[in-house]
Amino acid sequence: MAVIDQSKPAKVGGATKWVLAANLISPLSVLIGLLIWEVGARLFIDPFFLPPVSAIFLGAVELHQQDLLLTHISASLVRILGGWILGSLVAIPIGLLVGSFLNAKRIIDPYIHFLRFIPAIALVTLFIVWFGVGELSKILLVMYATAFIVMVNTATGVVTIHQNKRLAARTFGASMWQIFWRVTIPAAMPSIYVGMRLALASSFLVIVAVEMLAAESGLGYLIWTSKLYFKIDWMFVGIFLLGFLGLLTDYSWKMFGKHVIGRFVRSAANY
Amino acid sequence: MTISLESVGFAYETAGRSSPMILRNIDLTIAEGEFLILLGPSGCGKSTLLRLVAGFDHASEGRLQIDGKPISGPGKDRGMVFQDLESALYEWLTVRENVEFGLQIDGVPRQERIERRDAALKMVNLLDHGDKFPDALSGGMKQRVQIARMLAMRPSIMLMDEPFASLDAQTRQILQNQMVSIWTEVGGTAIYVTHDIREALNLGQRIILMSAGPAANIKHSYDVPMDYPRKQSDPLYIDLLERISADIEEEVSKVWQ
Repeated sequence: MAVIDQSKPAKVGGATKWVLAANLISPLSVLIGLLIWEVGARLFIDPFFLPPVSAIFLGAVELHQQDLLLTHISASLVRILGGWILGSLVAIPIGLLVGSFLNAKRIIDPYIHFLRFIPAIALVTLFIVWFGVGELSKILLVMYATAFIVMVNTATGVVTIHQNKRLAARTFGASMWQIFWRVTIPAAMPSIYVGMRLALASSFLVIVAVEMLAAESGLGYLIWTSKLYFKIDWMFVGIFLLGFLGLLTDYSWKMFGKHVIGRFVRSAANY
Repeated sequence: MTISLESVGFAYETAGRSSPMILRNIDLTIAEGEFLILLGPSGCGKSTLLRLVAGFDHASEGRLQIDGKPISGPGKDRGMVFQDLESALYEWLTVRENVEFGLQIDGVPRQERIERRDAALKMVNLLDHGDKFPDALSGGMKQRVQIARMLAMRPSIMLMDEPFASLDAQTRQILQNQMVSIWTEVGGTAIYVTHDIREALNLGQRIILMSAGPAANIKHSYDVPMDYPRKQSDPLYIDLLERISADIEEEVSKVWQ
Protein backbone atom coordinates (compact mmCIF):
# COMPACT_ATOMS: atom_id res chain seq x y z
CA MET A 1 0.00 0.00 0.00
CA ALA A 2 1.25 3.39 -0.86
CA VAL A 3 1.96 5.87 1.84
CA ILE A 4 0.59 9.27 1.06
CA ASP A 5 2.18 12.09 2.89
CA GLN A 6 0.74 15.43 2.03
CA SER A 7 2.76 17.37 4.54
CA LYS A 8 5.84 18.40 2.67
CA PRO A 9 8.86 19.66 4.56
CA ALA A 10 9.02 23.41 4.41
CA LYS A 11 11.90 24.64 2.29
CA VAL A 12 12.43 28.15 3.51
CA GLY A 13 14.13 28.65 6.89
CA GLY A 14 11.51 31.11 8.13
CA ALA A 15 8.70 28.80 7.10
CA THR A 16 10.31 25.87 8.97
CA LYS A 17 10.43 27.95 12.12
CA TRP A 18 6.81 28.88 11.71
CA VAL A 19 5.82 25.19 11.27
CA LEU A 20 7.73 24.34 14.46
CA ALA A 21 6.01 27.15 16.31
CA ALA A 22 2.62 26.07 14.96
CA ASN A 23 3.24 22.55 16.27
CA LEU A 24 3.76 23.99 19.73
CA ILE A 25 0.39 25.72 19.90
CA SER A 26 -1.62 22.64 20.94
CA PRO A 27 0.77 21.44 23.71
CA LEU A 28 1.02 25.00 24.99
CA SER A 29 -2.76 25.35 25.07
CA VAL A 30 -3.03 22.12 27.09
CA LEU A 31 -0.27 23.24 29.45
CA ILE A 32 -1.96 26.57 30.13
CA GLY A 33 -5.31 24.83 30.70
CA LEU A 34 -3.74 22.47 33.25
CA LEU A 35 -2.01 25.37 34.96
CA ILE A 36 -5.24 27.33 35.33
CA TRP A 37 -6.82 24.21 36.82
CA GLU A 38 -3.95 23.66 39.25
CA VAL A 39 -3.96 27.23 40.49
CA GLY A 40 -7.76 27.53 40.52
CA ALA A 41 -8.18 24.27 42.42
CA ARG A 42 -5.60 25.27 45.03
CA LEU A 43 -6.85 28.79 45.61
CA PHE A 44 -10.61 28.89 45.12
CA ILE A 45 -12.14 25.42 45.25
CA ASP A 46 -12.51 22.79 47.97
CA PRO A 47 -9.95 20.15 46.90
CA PHE A 48 -12.43 17.44 47.89
CA PHE A 49 -14.69 18.43 44.97
CA LEU A 50 -12.04 19.35 42.46
CA PRO A 51 -8.54 18.16 43.32
CA PRO A 52 -5.65 20.00 41.65
CA VAL A 53 -3.94 18.27 38.74
CA SER A 54 -0.95 17.39 40.89
CA ALA A 55 -3.17 15.49 43.34
CA ILE A 56 -4.72 13.56 40.48
CA PHE A 57 -1.27 12.66 39.22
CA LEU A 58 -0.29 11.47 42.71
CA GLY A 59 -3.51 9.45 42.80
CA ALA A 60 -2.44 7.76 39.58
CA VAL A 61 0.96 6.97 41.06
CA GLU A 62 -0.73 5.56 44.15
CA LEU A 63 -2.95 3.33 41.99
CA HIS A 64 0.05 2.18 40.03
CA GLN A 65 1.87 1.22 43.23
CA GLN A 66 -1.11 -0.96 44.15
CA ASP A 67 -0.88 -2.58 40.67
CA LEU A 68 -4.35 -1.32 39.87
CA LEU A 69 -3.70 1.28 37.18
CA LEU A 70 -2.63 -0.95 34.31
CA THR A 71 -5.15 -3.61 35.33
CA HIS A 72 -8.05 -1.21 34.95
CA ILE A 73 -6.69 0.32 31.76
CA SER A 74 -6.10 -2.99 30.04
CA ALA A 75 -9.45 -4.40 31.19
CA SER A 76 -11.34 -1.50 29.61
CA LEU A 77 -9.15 -1.34 26.52
CA VAL A 78 -9.51 -5.04 25.72
CA ARG A 79 -13.30 -4.78 25.98
CA ILE A 80 -13.44 -1.60 23.91
CA LEU A 81 -11.11 -2.68 21.12
CA GLY A 82 -12.37 -6.27 21.07
CA GLY A 83 -16.00 -5.24 20.83
CA TRP A 84 -15.24 -2.49 18.36
CA ILE A 85 -13.33 -4.73 15.96
CA LEU A 86 -15.74 -7.67 16.23
CA GLY A 87 -18.72 -5.34 15.89
CA SER A 88 -17.24 -3.80 12.77
CA LEU A 89 -16.47 -7.21 11.29
CA VAL A 90 -20.14 -8.09 11.63
CA ALA A 91 -21.42 -4.70 10.51
CA ILE A 92 -19.34 -4.08 7.38
CA PRO A 93 -20.59 -7.09 5.37
CA ILE A 94 -24.18 -6.34 6.39
CA GLY A 95 -23.77 -2.68 5.43
CA LEU A 96 -22.27 -3.64 2.06
CA LEU A 97 -25.14 -6.04 1.45
CA VAL A 98 -27.84 -3.55 2.42
CA GLY A 99 -26.25 -0.84 0.29
CA SER A 100 -25.79 -3.07 -2.74
CA PHE A 101 -28.94 -5.12 -2.99
CA LEU A 102 -32.43 -3.68 -2.79
CA ASN A 103 -33.94 -6.88 -1.48
CA ALA A 104 -31.32 -7.18 1.25
CA LYS A 105 -32.20 -3.62 2.20
CA ARG A 106 -35.90 -4.44 2.28
CA ILE A 107 -35.31 -7.42 4.57
CA ILE A 108 -32.69 -6.00 6.95
CA ASP A 109 -33.45 -2.26 7.02
CA PRO A 110 -36.40 -2.38 9.46
CA TYR A 111 -34.26 -4.18 12.03
CA ILE A 112 -31.35 -1.78 11.64
CA HIS A 113 -33.44 1.33 12.05
CA PHE A 114 -35.42 -0.10 14.97
CA LEU A 115 -32.47 -1.48 16.89
CA ARG A 116 -30.08 1.39 16.37
CA PHE A 117 -32.31 3.68 18.40
CA ILE A 118 -32.24 1.38 21.42
CA PRO A 119 -29.16 2.56 23.31
CA ALA A 120 -26.75 -0.15 24.37
CA ILE A 121 -27.04 1.22 27.90
CA ALA A 122 -30.71 0.19 27.95
CA LEU A 123 -29.61 -3.39 27.29
CA VAL A 124 -26.89 -3.66 29.94
CA THR A 125 -28.98 -5.43 32.59
CA LEU A 126 -30.66 -7.67 30.00
CA PHE A 127 -27.31 -8.74 28.53
CA ILE A 128 -26.01 -9.50 32.03
CA VAL A 129 -29.03 -11.74 32.62
CA TRP A 130 -28.55 -13.41 29.24
CA PHE A 131 -24.78 -13.69 29.01
CA GLY A 132 -23.62 -13.45 32.62
CA VAL A 133 -21.38 -10.97 34.39
CA GLY A 134 -18.23 -12.08 32.55
CA GLU A 135 -16.44 -10.60 29.57
CA LEU A 136 -18.93 -11.99 27.02
CA SER A 137 -21.77 -9.65 27.94
CA LYS A 138 -19.41 -6.66 27.91
CA ILE A 139 -17.88 -7.40 24.53
CA LEU A 140 -21.33 -8.08 23.08
CA LEU A 141 -22.59 -4.74 24.35
CA VAL A 142 -19.68 -2.89 22.77
CA MET A 143 -20.30 -4.82 19.56
CA TYR A 144 -23.93 -3.74 19.68
CA ALA A 145 -23.02 -0.11 20.27
CA THR A 146 -20.52 -0.21 17.42
CA ALA A 147 -22.30 -2.25 14.81
CA PHE A 148 -25.19 0.00 13.85
CA ILE A 149 -23.05 3.08 13.41
CA VAL A 150 -20.66 1.17 11.14
CA MET A 151 -23.54 -0.49 9.31
CA VAL A 152 -25.36 2.74 8.50
CA ASN A 153 -22.14 4.46 7.42
CA THR A 154 -21.10 1.54 5.25
CA ALA A 155 -24.49 1.31 3.53
CA THR A 156 -24.53 5.08 3.00
CA GLY A 157 -21.06 4.85 1.50
CA VAL A 158 -22.23 2.18 -0.92
CA VAL A 159 -25.35 3.97 -2.11
CA THR A 160 -23.47 7.23 -2.68
CA ILE A 161 -20.94 5.64 -5.06
CA HIS A 162 -21.33 7.43 -8.37
CA GLN A 163 -22.87 5.13 -10.96
CA ASN A 164 -20.19 6.09 -13.51
CA LYS A 165 -17.72 3.99 -11.49
CA ARG A 166 -19.80 0.88 -11.95
CA LEU A 167 -20.72 1.71 -15.55
CA ALA A 168 -17.04 2.15 -16.46
CA ALA A 169 -16.30 -1.27 -14.98
CA ARG A 170 -19.13 -2.75 -17.02
CA THR A 171 -17.61 -1.43 -20.25
CA PHE A 172 -14.54 -3.50 -19.32
CA GLY A 173 -16.75 -6.57 -19.08
CA ALA A 174 -16.71 -6.76 -15.27
CA SER A 175 -19.12 -9.20 -13.63
CA MET A 176 -21.38 -8.12 -10.76
CA TRP A 177 -19.01 -9.93 -8.39
CA GLN A 178 -15.95 -8.18 -9.81
CA ILE A 179 -17.70 -4.83 -9.50
CA PHE A 180 -18.57 -5.61 -5.87
CA TRP A 181 -14.98 -6.48 -4.92
CA ARG A 182 -13.07 -4.07 -7.07
CA VAL A 183 -15.33 -1.01 -7.19
CA THR A 184 -17.96 -1.09 -4.43
CA ILE A 185 -15.72 -2.08 -1.52
CA PRO A 186 -12.80 0.27 -2.22
CA ALA A 187 -15.16 3.13 -3.06
CA ALA A 188 -17.03 2.62 0.24
CA MET A 189 -13.82 2.51 2.30
CA PRO A 190 -13.88 6.19 3.35
CA SER A 191 -17.39 5.81 4.79
CA ILE A 192 -16.49 2.56 6.56
CA TYR A 193 -13.42 4.25 7.99
CA VAL A 194 -15.35 7.28 9.28
CA GLY A 195 -18.11 5.04 10.64
CA MET A 196 -15.60 3.02 12.64
CA ARG A 197 -14.07 6.20 13.99
CA LEU A 198 -17.44 7.43 15.25
CA ALA A 199 -18.24 3.99 16.64
CA LEU A 200 -15.05 4.03 18.70
CA ALA A 201 -16.44 6.88 20.80
CA SER A 202 -19.68 4.93 21.42
CA SER A 203 -17.64 1.96 22.62
CA PHE A 204 -16.17 4.13 25.35
CA LEU A 205 -19.62 5.34 26.36
CA VAL A 206 -21.12 1.91 26.77
CA ILE A 207 -18.17 0.18 28.41
CA VAL A 208 -18.10 2.71 31.25
CA ALA A 209 -21.80 2.15 31.87
CA VAL A 210 -21.36 -1.63 31.98
CA GLU A 211 -18.32 -1.49 34.21
CA MET A 212 -20.16 0.70 36.69
CA LEU A 213 -23.03 -1.77 36.93
CA ALA A 214 -21.34 -5.15 36.76
CA ALA A 215 -17.58 -5.49 36.72
CA GLU A 216 -14.62 -6.13 38.97
CA SER A 217 -12.21 -4.12 36.86
CA GLY A 218 -12.05 -1.38 34.27
CA LEU A 219 -12.08 2.39 34.34
CA GLY A 220 -15.85 2.56 34.87
CA TYR A 221 -15.44 0.28 37.88
CA LEU A 222 -12.63 2.47 39.18
CA ILE A 223 -14.72 5.64 38.91
CA TRP A 224 -17.72 3.99 40.55
CA THR A 225 -15.89 2.41 43.47
CA SER A 226 -13.76 5.49 44.20
CA LYS A 227 -16.96 7.08 45.43
CA LEU A 228 -17.19 4.43 48.16
CA TYR A 229 -13.77 5.35 49.52
CA PHE A 230 -14.23 9.11 49.02
CA LYS A 231 -11.23 8.98 46.69
CA ILE A 232 -12.21 11.86 44.43
CA ASP A 233 -8.67 11.98 43.03
CA TRP A 234 -8.95 8.34 41.89
CA MET A 235 -12.26 9.19 40.28
CA PHE A 236 -10.49 11.89 38.32
CA VAL A 237 -7.73 9.47 37.35
CA GLY A 238 -10.39 7.26 35.75
CA ILE A 239 -12.05 10.21 34.00
CA PHE A 240 -8.73 11.53 32.76
CA LEU A 241 -7.66 8.14 31.47
CA LEU A 242 -10.88 7.74 29.49
CA GLY A 243 -10.20 10.97 27.67
CA PHE A 244 -6.57 10.12 27.21
CA LEU A 245 -7.19 6.60 25.92
CA GLY A 246 -9.85 7.96 23.58
CA LEU A 247 -7.39 10.48 22.22
CA LEU A 248 -4.74 7.80 21.80
CA THR A 249 -6.93 5.20 20.06
CA ASP A 250 -8.47 7.83 17.81
CA TYR A 251 -5.05 9.12 16.87
CA SER A 252 -3.85 5.59 16.15
CA TRP A 253 -6.85 5.01 13.91
CA LYS A 254 -6.10 8.26 12.12
CA MET A 255 -2.48 7.24 11.55
CA PHE A 256 -3.66 3.81 10.36
CA GLY A 257 -5.91 5.61 7.87
CA LYS A 258 -3.17 7.93 6.70
CA HIS A 259 -0.31 5.50 6.40
CA VAL A 260 -1.64 1.96 6.05
CA ILE A 261 -4.81 2.31 4.01
CA GLY A 262 -3.97 5.79 2.75
CA ARG A 263 -4.84 5.29 -0.87
CA PHE A 264 -8.43 4.39 0.07
CA VAL A 265 -9.21 6.93 2.75
CA ARG A 266 -6.63 9.68 2.48
CA SER A 267 -9.03 12.61 2.40
CA ALA A 268 -11.23 11.11 5.13
CA ALA A 269 -8.18 10.75 7.40
CA ASN A 270 -7.28 14.41 7.12
CA TYR A 271 -9.34 15.41 10.13
CA MET B 1 -18.63 -2.76 -36.99
CA THR B 2 -21.75 -1.07 -38.26
CA ILE B 3 -24.13 0.42 -35.73
CA SER B 4 -27.72 0.73 -36.78
CA LEU B 5 -30.62 2.36 -34.99
CA GLU B 6 -34.16 1.82 -36.25
CA SER B 7 -37.02 4.00 -35.00
CA VAL B 8 -35.45 4.11 -31.55
CA GLY B 9 -37.42 5.77 -28.77
CA PHE B 10 -36.66 6.14 -25.09
CA ALA B 11 -38.50 7.08 -21.92
CA TYR B 12 -37.37 6.54 -18.34
CA GLU B 13 -39.47 4.05 -16.49
CA THR B 14 -40.00 4.49 -12.77
CA ALA B 15 -42.13 2.04 -10.81
CA GLY B 16 -43.80 0.75 -13.95
CA ARG B 17 -44.89 4.19 -15.11
CA SER B 18 -43.05 5.79 -17.97
CA SER B 19 -42.18 9.46 -18.13
CA PRO B 20 -42.61 11.47 -21.35
CA MET B 21 -40.53 10.30 -24.32
CA ILE B 22 -37.02 11.73 -24.37
CA LEU B 23 -36.12 10.33 -27.78
CA ARG B 24 -38.46 9.26 -30.56
CA ASN B 25 -38.08 7.77 -34.01
CA ILE B 26 -34.32 7.87 -34.29
CA ASP B 27 -33.04 6.25 -37.48
CA LEU B 28 -29.29 6.24 -37.85
CA THR B 29 -26.61 4.07 -39.40
CA ILE B 30 -22.99 4.58 -38.39
CA ALA B 31 -20.40 3.05 -40.66
CA GLU B 32 -17.28 1.32 -39.40
CA GLY B 33 -14.44 3.77 -38.87
CA GLU B 34 -16.64 6.83 -38.94
CA PHE B 35 -16.19 9.81 -36.59
CA LEU B 36 -19.75 10.82 -35.84
CA ILE B 37 -20.86 13.81 -33.81
CA LEU B 38 -24.13 14.05 -31.92
CA LEU B 39 -24.80 17.77 -31.63
CA GLY B 40 -27.71 19.48 -29.98
CA PRO B 41 -28.93 21.92 -27.37
CA SER B 42 -28.54 20.80 -23.77
CA GLY B 43 -31.29 18.51 -22.58
CA CYS B 44 -32.06 17.20 -26.07
CA GLY B 45 -31.20 13.62 -25.19
CA LYS B 46 -27.93 13.24 -27.08
CA SER B 47 -26.23 11.74 -24.03
CA THR B 48 -29.21 9.45 -23.57
CA LEU B 49 -28.75 8.23 -27.13
CA LEU B 50 -25.08 7.54 -26.42
CA ARG B 51 -26.01 5.58 -23.28
CA LEU B 52 -28.35 3.44 -25.37
CA VAL B 53 -25.48 2.57 -27.73
CA ALA B 54 -23.26 1.90 -24.68
CA GLY B 55 -25.91 -0.47 -23.38
CA PHE B 56 -26.32 1.36 -20.05
CA ASP B 57 -30.02 1.93 -20.79
CA HIS B 58 -32.44 -0.01 -22.95
CA ALA B 59 -34.51 1.49 -25.73
CA SER B 60 -38.23 1.66 -25.04
CA GLU B 61 -39.01 1.45 -28.74
CA GLY B 62 -37.20 0.36 -31.90
CA ARG B 63 -34.01 -1.61 -32.41
CA LEU B 64 -30.31 -0.96 -31.83
CA GLN B 65 -27.87 -3.32 -33.46
CA ILE B 66 -24.15 -3.74 -33.92
CA ASP B 67 -23.35 -5.82 -36.99
CA GLY B 68 -26.88 -7.15 -36.91
CA LYS B 69 -26.74 -8.22 -33.26
CA PRO B 70 -29.04 -6.40 -30.84
CA ILE B 71 -27.36 -4.39 -28.06
CA SER B 72 -28.32 -6.01 -24.78
CA GLY B 73 -25.87 -4.37 -22.41
CA PRO B 74 -22.39 -2.88 -22.12
CA GLY B 75 -19.55 -4.75 -23.80
CA LYS B 76 -15.82 -4.64 -24.33
CA ASP B 77 -16.37 -3.69 -27.99
CA ARG B 78 -17.54 -0.26 -26.80
CA GLY B 79 -15.39 2.03 -24.68
CA MET B 80 -16.76 5.07 -22.89
CA VAL B 81 -15.39 8.44 -21.81
CA PHE B 82 -17.69 10.12 -19.31
CA GLN B 83 -18.24 13.85 -19.11
CA ASP B 84 -17.82 14.13 -15.35
CA LEU B 85 -14.23 14.73 -14.27
CA GLU B 86 -14.55 13.45 -10.72
CA SER B 87 -16.71 10.37 -10.76
CA ALA B 88 -15.45 8.08 -13.51
CA LEU B 89 -11.87 7.40 -12.38
CA TYR B 90 -11.02 5.18 -9.42
CA GLU B 91 -9.48 7.56 -6.91
CA TRP B 92 -7.79 4.76 -4.93
CA LEU B 93 -5.77 3.73 -7.98
CA THR B 94 -2.85 5.56 -9.55
CA VAL B 95 -3.04 6.74 -13.14
CA ARG B 96 -1.23 3.59 -14.22
CA GLU B 97 -3.49 1.33 -12.19
CA ASN B 98 -6.59 3.08 -13.52
CA VAL B 99 -5.51 2.37 -17.07
CA GLU B 100 -4.64 -1.21 -16.18
CA PHE B 101 -7.89 -1.83 -14.33
CA GLY B 102 -9.92 -2.86 -17.38
CA LEU B 103 -7.13 -5.09 -18.64
CA GLN B 104 -7.01 -6.88 -15.29
CA ILE B 105 -10.77 -7.39 -15.35
CA ASP B 106 -10.37 -8.76 -18.86
CA GLY B 107 -7.69 -11.21 -17.69
CA VAL B 108 -4.96 -9.88 -19.98
CA PRO B 109 -1.59 -11.46 -19.04
CA ARG B 110 0.76 -9.26 -17.03
CA GLN B 111 3.39 -8.55 -19.67
CA GLU B 112 0.86 -7.62 -22.34
CA ARG B 113 -1.06 -5.58 -19.79
CA ILE B 114 1.97 -3.44 -19.04
CA GLU B 115 2.69 -2.93 -22.74
CA ARG B 116 -0.86 -1.94 -23.60
CA ARG B 117 -1.10 0.31 -20.54
CA ASP B 118 2.09 2.17 -21.37
CA ALA B 119 1.19 2.47 -25.04
CA ALA B 120 -2.15 4.02 -24.10
CA LEU B 121 -0.53 6.40 -21.61
CA LYS B 122 1.99 7.40 -24.23
CA MET B 123 -0.75 8.25 -26.71
CA VAL B 124 -2.25 10.75 -24.28
CA ASN B 125 1.17 12.01 -23.10
CA LEU B 126 0.74 10.83 -19.52
CA LEU B 127 3.58 8.35 -19.30
CA ASP B 128 5.41 10.59 -16.82
CA HIS B 129 2.41 10.91 -14.53
CA GLY B 130 1.71 7.21 -13.98
CA ASP B 131 2.37 7.26 -10.24
CA LYS B 132 -0.04 10.06 -9.45
CA PHE B 133 -3.46 9.61 -7.95
CA PRO B 134 -6.41 11.21 -9.78
CA ASP B 135 -6.88 13.93 -7.16
CA ALA B 136 -3.43 15.28 -8.03
CA LEU B 137 -4.37 15.76 -11.71
CA SER B 138 -5.86 18.70 -13.58
CA GLY B 139 -9.22 18.31 -15.30
CA GLY B 140 -7.62 17.86 -18.69
CA MET B 141 -5.28 15.18 -17.37
CA LYS B 142 -8.17 13.31 -15.76
CA GLN B 143 -9.98 13.16 -19.08
CA ARG B 144 -6.80 11.94 -20.77
CA VAL B 145 -6.62 9.13 -18.20
CA GLN B 146 -10.19 8.22 -19.12
CA ILE B 147 -9.23 8.20 -22.79
CA ALA B 148 -6.12 6.12 -22.10
CA ARG B 149 -8.03 3.52 -20.10
CA MET B 150 -10.48 3.24 -23.00
CA LEU B 151 -7.68 2.96 -25.58
CA ALA B 152 -5.93 0.25 -23.57
CA MET B 153 -9.01 -1.94 -24.00
CA ARG B 154 -8.81 -1.48 -27.81
CA PRO B 155 -12.55 -1.11 -28.33
CA SER B 156 -13.78 -1.03 -31.92
CA ILE B 157 -16.27 1.68 -30.96
CA MET B 158 -15.31 4.71 -28.85
CA LEU B 159 -18.16 6.54 -27.14
CA MET B 160 -17.45 9.99 -25.76
CA ASP B 161 -19.94 12.06 -23.80
CA GLU B 162 -18.81 15.71 -23.90
CA PRO B 163 -15.41 14.71 -22.51
CA PHE B 164 -13.93 18.19 -22.75
CA ALA B 165 -17.02 20.26 -21.90
CA SER B 166 -15.87 21.32 -18.45
CA LEU B 167 -12.31 22.23 -19.46
CA ASP B 168 -10.98 25.65 -20.34
CA ALA B 169 -10.90 26.74 -23.99
CA GLN B 170 -7.14 26.28 -24.54
CA THR B 171 -7.04 22.82 -23.00
CA ARG B 172 -10.11 21.87 -25.00
CA GLN B 173 -8.46 22.95 -28.25
CA ILE B 174 -5.29 20.97 -27.52
CA LEU B 175 -7.22 17.86 -26.55
CA GLN B 176 -9.38 18.07 -29.67
CA ASN B 177 -6.24 17.97 -31.82
CA GLN B 178 -4.91 15.11 -29.71
CA MET B 179 -8.21 13.27 -30.12
CA VAL B 180 -8.01 13.54 -33.91
CA SER B 181 -4.48 12.19 -34.05
CA ILE B 182 -5.34 9.33 -31.68
CA TRP B 183 -8.36 8.38 -33.72
CA THR B 184 -6.32 8.58 -36.93
CA GLU B 185 -3.75 6.28 -35.36
CA VAL B 186 -5.95 3.65 -33.73
CA GLY B 187 -8.89 3.79 -36.14
CA GLY B 188 -12.31 2.54 -35.16
CA THR B 189 -15.69 4.12 -34.92
CA ALA B 190 -16.14 7.17 -32.72
CA ILE B 191 -19.39 8.67 -31.49
CA TYR B 192 -18.82 11.99 -29.82
CA VAL B 193 -21.48 14.02 -28.03
CA THR B 194 -21.10 17.79 -27.81
CA HIS B 195 -23.09 21.01 -27.69
CA ASP B 196 -20.16 23.00 -29.11
CA ILE B 197 -20.47 23.59 -32.88
CA ARG B 198 -16.78 24.35 -33.39
CA GLU B 199 -15.78 21.22 -31.52
CA ALA B 200 -18.14 19.29 -33.77
CA LEU B 201 -16.54 20.82 -36.87
CA ASN B 202 -13.00 20.22 -35.59
CA LEU B 203 -13.63 16.53 -34.94
CA GLY B 204 -16.46 15.03 -36.93
CA GLN B 205 -16.80 13.53 -40.38
CA ARG B 206 -20.54 13.70 -40.01
CA ILE B 207 -22.58 15.84 -37.64
CA ILE B 208 -26.00 14.72 -36.51
CA LEU B 209 -27.96 17.72 -35.28
CA MET B 210 -30.71 16.81 -32.86
CA SER B 211 -33.92 18.69 -32.28
CA ALA B 212 -34.78 20.06 -28.84
CA GLY B 213 -36.56 17.70 -26.46
CA PRO B 214 -38.88 16.28 -25.34
CA ALA B 215 -39.26 13.50 -27.86
CA ALA B 216 -36.06 14.65 -29.56
CA ASN B 217 -35.27 13.51 -33.02
CA ILE B 218 -32.60 13.85 -35.70
CA LYS B 219 -33.11 17.24 -37.31
CA HIS B 220 -30.40 17.33 -39.94
CA SER B 221 -27.26 15.50 -40.87
CA TYR B 222 -24.21 17.40 -42.12
CA ASP B 223 -21.26 15.84 -43.87
CA VAL B 224 -17.93 17.51 -43.19
CA PRO B 225 -15.72 16.64 -46.19
CA MET B 226 -12.56 18.31 -44.89
CA ASP B 227 -9.09 17.06 -44.03
CA TYR B 228 -7.61 17.18 -40.52
CA PRO B 229 -6.52 19.38 -38.90
CA ARG B 230 -9.48 21.54 -39.75
CA LYS B 231 -8.82 25.19 -40.49
CA GLN B 232 -11.33 27.63 -39.06
CA SER B 233 -10.59 30.01 -41.97
CA ASP B 234 -11.61 27.44 -44.56
CA PRO B 235 -14.68 28.75 -46.49
CA LEU B 236 -16.40 25.38 -46.08
CA TYR B 237 -15.79 25.50 -42.31
CA ILE B 238 -17.28 28.98 -42.13
CA ASP B 239 -20.24 28.02 -44.29
CA LEU B 240 -21.02 24.94 -42.18
CA LEU B 241 -20.56 26.90 -38.97
CA GLU B 242 -23.13 29.45 -40.09
CA ARG B 243 -25.66 26.92 -41.31
CA ILE B 244 -25.42 24.74 -38.22
CA SER B 245 -25.53 27.79 -35.95
CA ALA B 246 -28.75 28.99 -37.56
CA ASP B 247 -30.16 25.48 -37.37
CA ILE B 248 -29.35 25.02 -33.70
CA GLU B 249 -30.57 28.49 -32.81
CA GLU B 250 -33.96 27.59 -34.17
CA GLU B 251 -34.06 24.63 -31.78
CA VAL B 252 -32.90 26.58 -28.77
CA SER B 253 -35.47 29.30 -29.34
CA LYS B 254 -38.20 26.63 -29.39
CA VAL B 255 -37.23 25.71 -25.85
CA TRP B 256 -37.26 29.31 -24.71
CA GLN B 257 -40.74 30.08 -26.05
